[in-house]
Amino acid sequence: MGNYPAIMRSKWFLPLFSLVLGVVVLGASWAGGSLGSGLISLAVLAGFGLLILLAGRSETIRGLRGDGRDERFAQIDLRATAVTGLVLIVTLIVAWLTEIAQGHSGSPYAWLCAIGGLSYALAVAFFRWRG
Amino acid sequence: MKNQVRALRMKHDLAQGQLAEAMGVSRQTINSIENERYMPSLPLAIALARYFGVPVEEMFGDGELSGNHAL
Repeated sequence: MGNYPAIMRSKWFLPLFSLVLGVVVLGASWAGGSLGSGLISLAVLAGFGLLILLAGRSETIRGLRGDGRDERFAQIDLRATAVTGLVLIVTLIVAWLTEIAQGHSGSPYAWLCAIGGLSYALAVAFFRWRG
Repeated sequence: MKNQVRALRMKHDLAQGQLAEAMGVSRQTINSIENERYMPSLPLAIALARYFGVPVEEMFGDGELSGNHAL
């Protein structure tokens, strides 16, 4: 009854995702010449993953971790994603307007707003077409 | 929407966790359905109805449809 692939319903999903993200950040930081901050990022993300893995059995923790995901959590996840998107786009618009008001070009906020708006329009068109 | 999930579960002497396990969802999802805070998907609604051996329209509704199907 879940809408998630099996791998996303494993208790290892978010912890491993955090660890992989930490390794990627480490690689990017190393390439950018700041190995120290990369190691700190890896430690923080790996620690977060470990904390989530060992955390309790509350529905919120299990849902975030992966092993508590079912169709109701999919709906919660969708709503939470929509709220997150709304907060991000409002933040970007405010930041863009603030930059313009201060006599700056508005970059990169203008670009991020444009990407957000275009993504939304394309997603609406795609899901309408798919039915 | 009203439903008969709690009544049927109690009738079959099942805990929420047992029903949740049988349906492949969390115990909290069963609790939310029983308290009318979550409307299950059609596949889950059908699975619940089949599990208890009742028509889905009797399980989800105010229970007034029983024996009154002729329109």
